[in-house]
Formats: sequence, structure tokens, C-alpha cells
Amino acid sequence: MITPFALAGLAAGLALARQDAPPAAEHPVKLLAHAELSAELARLASAHPDLATLHLVGRSREGRAIEALCITAAKERAEHPALLLVANLEGPRLFESGVALHHAERLLSEAGDEKVRALLESTVVWILPRANPDAAEARFATPRAERWTSTEGVDDDRDGRMGEDPPSDVNGDGLVTWMRVPDPDGTWMADPKDARALVEADRAKGERGVWKLYPEGRDLDHDEEASEDPPGDVRVDRNFPAGWEEHAAHAGLFATDEPEARALAEFVMAQKNLCLVLVFDGWDDLVEKPKSVGDDAPAVKLVPPAGLLESDAKQVEELGRRYREATENKTKGTSPTEGTFARWCYEHRGIVTLGAVLWDLPTEAPKSEAKPEEAKPADAPAEEKKEIEKKEGEKKDEREPSEDAKHLKWIDATGETWRFVPWTSFTHPELGAVEIGGFAPYARLEPPEKERGPIADRHFGFLLGLGAVLPRATLAECEREALGGDLWRVRAVVANDGFLPLFSKSAQRTQTTRPARVRLILPEAAVLVAGEVQTLVSDLPGSGGRKEILWLVHGPAAMEIGVEVDSDHAGKAFRKAEEAR
Amino acid sequence: MNAFALAFALSIQDGSHEKPGFPGLPANHRPEVEIPWNRFYDAEEIYALLDRFAAHWPRLLSHEVIGHSVENREMRVYTLTNPDAGPASSKPAMWVDGNVHGNEVQGAEAVVYLAWYLLENQTSNERARALLDQGAFYLLPMVNPDGRAHWFAGAHNAHSSRTGVQPLDRDGDGLFDEDGPDDLDGDGNIVQMRKHVPGEGTHRLNADDPRVMEFVPPNDKGIRGDWIYVGQEGIDNDGDGRINEDDVGGYDMNRSWPSLWQPDHVQFGAGPYPLYWPETRAIARFLLEHPNVAAVQSFHNSGGMILRGPGAEVFGEYPRADVAVYDELGRDGERMLPFYRYMIIWRDLYSVFGGFVNWAYEGLGIMSFTNELWADEQVSPDRRLGQGMQDQLLADDRLLLGEGFVDWHPYQHPLYGPIEIGGFQKDVGRVPPTFLVEEMIHRNALFCVRHAEALPEVVIRDPLVTDLGGVKAVDVVFANEHLIPTRTAQAAKNRIGRPDRLVLEGEGIEVLAGGVRSDRFRPEQIELQEHDPARLVREEGLGSRAELRVRWLVKGKGEATLRFEGEKARAVERTVAIP
Repeated sequence: MITPFALAGLAAGLALARQDAPPAAEHPVKLLAHAELSAELARLASAHPDLATLHLVGRSREGRAIEALCITAAKERAEHPALLLVANLEGPRLFESGVALHHAERLLSEAGDEKVRALLESTVVWILPRANPDAAEARFATPRAERWTSTEGVDDDRDGRMGEDPPSDVNGDGLVTWMRVPDPDGTWMADPKDARALVEADRAKGERGVWKLYPEGRDLDHDEEASEDPPGDVRVDRNFPAGWEEHAAHAGLFATDEPEARALAEFVMAQKNLCLVLVFDGWDDLVEKPKSVGDDAPAVKLVPPAGLLESDAKQVEELGRRYREATENKTKGTSPTEGTFARWCYEHRGIVTLGAVLWDLPTEAPKSEAKPEEAKPADAPAEEKKEIEKKEGEKKDEREPSEDAKHLKWIDATGETWRFVPWTSFTHPELGAVEIGGFAPYARLEPPEKERGPIADRHFGFLLGLGAVLPRATLAECEREALGGDLWRVRAVVANDGFLPLFSKSAQRTQTTRPARVRLILPEAAVLVAGEVQTLVSDLPGSGGRKEILWLVHGPAAMEIGVEVDSDHAGKAFRKAEEAR
Repeated sequence: MNAFALAFALSIQDGSHEKPGFPGLPANHRPEVEIPWNRFYDAEEIYALLDRFAAHWPRLLSHEVIGHSVENREMRVYTLTNPDAGPASSKPAMWVDGNVHGNEVQGAEAVVYLAWYLLENQTSNERARALLDQGAFYLLPMVNPDGRAHWFAGAHNAHSSRTGVQPLDRDGDGLFDEDGPDDLDGDGNIVQMRKHVPGEGTHRLNADDPRVMEFVPPNDKGIRGDWIYVGQEGIDNDGDGRINEDDVGGYDMNRSWPSLWQPDHVQFGAGPYPLYWPETRAIARFLLEHPNVAAVQSFHNSGGMILRGPGAEVFGEYPRADVAVYDELGRDGERMLPFYRYMIIWRDLYSVFGGFVNWAYEGLGIMSFTNELWADEQVSPDRRLGQGMQDQLLADDRLLLGEGFVDWHPYQHPLYGPIEIGGFQKDVGRVPPTFLVEEMIHRNALFCVRHAEALPEVVIRDPLVTDLGGVKAVDVVFANEHLIPTRTAQAAKNRIGRPDRLVLEGEGIEVLAGGVRSDRFRPEQIELQEHDPARLVREEGLGSRAELRVRWLVKGKGEATLRFEGEKARAVERTVAIP
């Protein structure tokens, strides 16, 4: 049961989320290979046995353990709401797994801190740092490559063979980058703003493509296509049932065929007290205002419309505001697409799911390095203003630099040269004269070292504030009133003091969460004259939502009448009906 | 006694008029394995029957265990083929199953009958023999052996034990399967409850037959009935104020399949994710690992239907070329199965998301049917008896000595007080009476044979070699002689499985170019394949009863081999001399 102290602490935690987070030096963000990550999780669990337990969620296709830490100070886990943080569902997102691990470490090592204690006493926090261990392991392999897919194969180029042309390190530089191959059929050309960047030629503007672009690799089957049939095709985070795309190679043979997806689904289903899921991936619900669909939007040919329902979207928008305040994150992403875990959690399990993109390769040089000519026109005297405006106007007629060119500006300004390999001529064994280079693996995904800690710390602050967000059903009032003739009116009020409603709008549809059950407990001598023995409560708004239940009972004054509320996330609570004053 | 009679008497003694096989001709035939077909068999007996066949015809029938049910019963696939003409995996195959709904029992008998009938006729019938030479059957009689076992052993009605038996909390009260129907009078049946409420009821008893309850229509004269129905036999087991709201299980394994799958709140019974139950996942894995399956038949009850997808309107329409194949098979089925109608599931029946035959076609590209076995018009085909309760009782009284109906008898109910219990038993209504079982399963098994005889069969017609001067043109016609294409339009459109390949190779032969010819009279109209022309890739396969003209341009001389390779047809080879 949640203590008043914890409640107050939660409120305090919410307000102070952004301020005075201890420095990150003791908890750097670590990008660990699987064996090290597993060892670290085990170490955390054994170092904090009163707070943490390690759980095996399942095994990947290649047999690696998928693990989650359960962190809580609550005595009865089942009687408190739970939240789940999942990271690294996409293979290359190791930074996100490092941030999740960082959160676990801080929760455990700072358990004495007021805000942390408030969270852990009232909430069950699950942290699953790496949902896709097989693909993540490529980060530490040589040559280094980004691996988004699993080992299941599809015959991509329909030549009767599978996986015969995988991406590989052709020029022996230890990296799998890109190849641009001169070809009059090619659709790519150099960005006029920065010759290192490639853009697709636009015929309507009289532009002509000169290159074909491939991932670095061989053309072993001599079909004049390189790297076109990689050994893996399936993305774990496209293998979940909501919006699952049949016949798309990346979606797998059927939803939950990938053992990682099935294990995660079973895990979510097993946590009956799970009220909120936080996903660190490419999905964004918290920076960009999420799109929503009306609560009453009709099904089309019996298929309900996809996406966030309006009532839930309102809650998510508020959480997004708190997120932006706590983390100062401006990185936008997209809504979860077909077949993703996030979409399944929300649309099929009715659990509010928040996605955040922790970092993206910036498209501007950092502000402190901005050149003086680029000062705002507003600061300049009138004549200069006109000159600058004229130049701005001229600039508008020219082509905008491409996204890649903008990224390169940032790379040049910050000196993060590892992120881009200069295009270098190479004689390719099958394709002849090519150039190899381009953005390096993980360049777009991993922030500079010095930024990692601060990003993690700010997100930790947001995490601490989530305790007050979860719904909490309590029996706020329980009383009886004599009506005369041994007839009594019994009144109970169930209230929800959390921010989120007891059931999201989605959960009211999916009916995958059991309603809270309110049961009237009567002695043998009493007779229920009016009302239900058991009332199911499935619609209770947050921030003080209340539901009143009434009964009429006939029986002697001495009889003891009680009411019990039983919910999946708050356990059982019993109160005797006391006479109303 | 005259000579003729003597000869006749002698022949009866030595049985020389008896012929092998049991082809449906009633005289002078004795099956090798005698099976009474006028009854149903429980889960263990079904496997025992097939094992008897496997013991009697060991080369032709064998089985493997592909998984286990929730209650750990074996899920067995029996493979029926003649391995002397090649292993099953080298031939197009037909998958036949039944009984995904535990109460829809007769599907298993239909599967068993199919095996029996083909085996009995191997030595005597050319078509039966050719079928097992050229093709194979994968037979899984019970998709839901647990449901079947419960239906046989427990107290049920015609509709119950449809589900599997994994416990499910249907009413959200935290308890599982705690309030199902109850056999209150312990007679082994779940029937109806009615209560006498003089002047306050919705029904009255029929004047001629008090077993029959007649609805009293609303009227302005204040005429009311004396009886009400109070529901299915049962009590409020968990004290929550509701009766029979949480029976065993409560899910539908025929809503579990991956295509257009929707969760429980959109499609009742579907469970939390596709192929959630072990029975369904085992079957899915088998089909994914056997890409030679080119025909699927599933048996359900009841209603007399030959069903194809789409299961949900949102899919749209199936490709025309495939619909043409479906229509031919469906119409043949209507002619073979009196009172059965060939229907489209979503349009003519109801919406089904995640149905098995929908996945088999939409996901795997296989021509697939569900038959709903038993059209009850068969009891009185000329309609001298109608469908009302009185007619049903007459049929039961006269043809089954009244065994199907439990007559109304009194019972004291804890909530309703004095009531009466009565009604038709579980084996009335959705399954045929004993004497019509064999007809039903025979016709449906032979519908499977009709479907299987349509499996693709490829031939390579006489190749023609023309000397163009230094280069030779080899013209070959690859033909699929049967109704079912080697790749359905659905498979081609969605790149399901591997495309067919048409190959020319030989020592000393170099293939310079090649492709499919689009014009019979203009040889230069060729869709050239740029890379590796010796192995032409054909995503569309060979169509229904269609020919494909191919031209290769080659250099060199010697013997060349022409070959067709496809997942759903036997590989075919032919040699041609290049002079």
C-alpha cells in the first residue's frame, strides 16, 4: 500500500524532476557487449537484493538471454502499479541500452534519495535494456556494421538463393560503409551544397543522376547488384501483431514468429499491474505532438482505425510537455509504425506507451560556433538589415542543402570526423571503379561522448516523475446510513489519484486489463435488497476521478458490512462501512 | 439343380467373384479393413483407426508428431503417398484437417475416410493409384483433440466444447473457467431449462405434443403463454449473480491464424497474438516447412457449405485468375454435395479475421476450402418434413426410436425454483444421424479427391531446335495440364515462397540468351532474362491449364537437359539433342 509520505515524495519528485540531478560522472553511459551487459545486470541484482531482481524474459534466436531488472522497494509487487522501460529493440540502438542501464544503476545507488525512494516505494520499475541482443552484438564485431535485421532469410532478389550478397567490408578499413558506383542509370548525384552528400536527381529540375548507391559489399552472384540479398531480413520491431504487414520481408513470416518478439509480448502480458511503457527507440510521442484519432472514429470494414485515441492523446500531450521540460530534448521522430512493439502495447493491450528518440545526428552546427554574418537581421541597423534580407531572399531561390549536407556541417564544426568516411576510389572486384565512403556505422545513432551523460541524467529526472503518473485506485469512502426498519444504504467511493485514468480509452476497448472489482461483504444475517454483489469498475479518470457505488442492505444494526476493492495494479483493500456522520 | 445354379453355388463357396478394392460399387466387394462408418470415434479411436491402416498399408501411410495440444495430446500428421514414385516432398501435396472446433467432430471421420478410401482402391483403381503416385496427402484429423475428447466424455450440447481447454478468464473476475454449464440431473447431457409461469410466459406448449414449445406472438388480446425458457442447464457456480458466464476455455482456434489477424476485442476468440495456442503454431510451422502443399481442405460443421475467403471484407477481392480456379472447384463441389452452397466467407456467412483457410490462401498462396459438414435437409431431402421442432421430433421418434430428445422432466433449481429440464442431445443438429454419416463423409472425401486431382502436373512438350547459323534456337513448351497453377496469382503477387525455374543445361552447351516467348508466331518476341538465362525465373509460375513457350539461344552441341523446378509440382526433365 502506498504511504502518504511516498505520495508527497512523488509530487515533489514531479516538480523537481529537472533540477539538481547529481552529476553523471559515477554513472557514465556504457555501450556494452552482451556478455558484459548480462554480467552488469547480475551484479546490480546481487548488490541490491532488497531492491532488485533479475528476470529472464526470453532468449533471442541465437540463444542470448533477454533480461529485465525489476526494481522496487514495495513489499508486495503485485499491489503496486508497474512501469516498463524497453530499449534497444532496434539492433543498432546501443546508446539507448546504455541509458536504460544508467537509469537502473542510479535508481539502485541513489535509493536513499527522497525522489528515488518515493518512486520505488510506490511503483514497480522494470528496466529491459536490450530487447534485441543478437542484432546489437554487431556493434562489437569486426568489421563494424549496423545490423537492423535478424538471421531469418528471404530470397530478396528472387534468384533462388538466399543471403548470397550480404553487405561486407570490401576495402578492408574495418567498416561497412557505402559504395557509389558510376552508372548512367544511377539516380544519385552530389549535393551542390556539399559534394560529400548525395541527393536523388530531380529530372524536373534538369538534374541527372550519375551514381548507384549500395551498402558496401560484393556482387558475388554477378547480377550487377551489390549487397542486395543480405542474410537477414526481419526486424524484430516489425514483428508484433498490431498493423503487422503480411508479405513485407522485414516483418517476418507471421507476427511473434521472432523469439524476441514473442518473449517480449509474453512478458508484457504476464505483468498484470503494468500501467505504462516507455520505449527508447525511433518512435516519438513526446516531442512532436502525437497524431490522434477520434474516440468514436468508426471502424472501416470492421477494422478499428489505428493510432492514439483522442482521450489518451490528451494525456500523452501533457506527458510530452513534462518530458520536454525535464529533458530539453528536441529530437523529433515518427509515430510507431506497422508491426512495432509500441503500437502493439497500445492498440492491442491498452497500455499507454511513450516513445522518445534520445538523440539524432544534428542538422546544424552547435550555436557557439555560428559565424558572425549569420547574426539575426533584427540585431543589425536598418541598411544592413536590408542587405541581409536581400541575401536571404537570394538564398531562398537556391536549393536547400540536403539533410546529409546539414549533418556534415555539424560533423565539420564538432570535429566528429569518425562519423563520415571520405569517398575514396577503389577498384571493386566485380563492379570496377567505385568510391567507398559515406556515413559510418552508428554515426547517426550515438551522441558524442560528452553529451551522453547529460542526456541520460535528464531522462533519469523524467523517469523519477513517472511515479505520480501511474493510476492508483483506492477505496476513498465507505459508509452506511440507517434508513429505518433495519434498512441501510451503503455507499462506497473508488477514487484514482494518479494522473493516468485507471484504464486508457484503448484499454476500455481491448478489455485486456481486468476491471477493478468492488465487492460488498455481508454477514449471513444480512440480505442484499438492491445493488450488485460485485461491481466491475473499468472507467475511472485520473487526477481524482471518483466512482460511487450504492447498495441497500437489510439487517440488524450490529452487523458488520465491508467493501473490498481488488485491482490488478493496486491489489486488495478492505474497509468496513462506518456510519456516516 | 441345373448346371447354371451349380456353377453359381460353387462360385459362392470359393469367393472368386469377390474383387479387390471398395470403389463404391456395392456387389462383390469386400474392404481389406472393415470400418463401421455409421458412428463417431473419440480422440484415441481416431488415431487407432489410422494406425490400423498404417499397419495394413505400411508403405503408403505413416505419421509424424508435429506438436502437442494443451492437454498434451499428440498432434499427428499422417502422410499418404506412394514413395516408390518419389517421396512426398517431391510432389504437390494436399493438406486435409478437421475438428478445430471440438464439437465439430465429423471432420475427423471425413479425414480418416479419405485415407481409407484411397488405400482400399490402390490395387483396383487407376485414378486412385495415380493420385498417390503423382501427389501426396498430409492428413491431420483433429486440430483440437482436447476439445473433441471433452465433447465425447463430458456433458455437452451440440455447440459446446468448441474451444480448446486452456483456462481463460472470460468474465474478468480473476477466476478461470469457474462457471460453465452444469449437468444438473447427471444424465450426461446439457440441455435446456424451462419454467411454468401461468399467464406470465412467452411460450405455450403445443396442443399435440407437449415437448414442443411455441412462441406466443405479442397481441392486443392479452393472451400470454404459460412457459419461459430460463437458459442452458446450469447454476451460478461462483456466486457473482450470473449463470454459465465462464465455461471451459472460451477461445476459437480458428481465429488464430496470421492473415488479417485481429485481437480478441475485434475478433472474438482470437487470443492475444497469432498462433498463440500450441496446436495452431505446430500446424503453421508444418505448413511453412512444406512448401509443396498446393491444396488445403478444412472440415467443420455444420450447414452444408463450401467456403472460400476472403474472411474479411477489408481484404478486397481475390485475384481473378485464382477466383476462376476456386469457382470451378466450388461448383463441382455443389454438384457432388446436395444442399451445399459454394460461398464467400465474409459476404455470405460472417466476418472472420484470422481464419485458417484465409491464411492458407492469403498468406501461403494455397487454394483452400472450408467445408461445413452436414446439411440437415438430408434428413428429408424432398421437404416432406420441415425444419421446425415438431418435424425434428417426428424424425427423431420415427428414425431413431426417440433417442435424440431428452424429454422434459422436473428439477428443483436453487435460483429459479421448480423447473423442467429437456431438449435435444449433443449429437443432434450439427452432426448427422448414424445412418447418414457415411454419405456425408464419402461425398466430402471425394471432394478432396477432386481437388487433389487438380494439383499441378507439368509436362515438357517436344522441344524444337532451329539452326540460326552458329547459334541455335531451342523452343520448348512447358505446360501445366491441371487446373491448379504451379503458383497462384496471390503467391506471384506477393512473392510467396520461391519462384519456378525453367532450366536448360548441358556439357558443351553455352546458353547465350533466353526468355519466355509472348507470341506463338513471332519468335523474336521474347522477354529476355538479363542474368543467368540458363535458369529462367518465373514468379508467375505456370498458369491453370496453361502453356508457356520458352526460347533459348545456345552455342555448342551435345545433349542438353531441360528441366522444370517448382515448389508445388513434380520436377520434370527432358533431354534434347543439340546438333
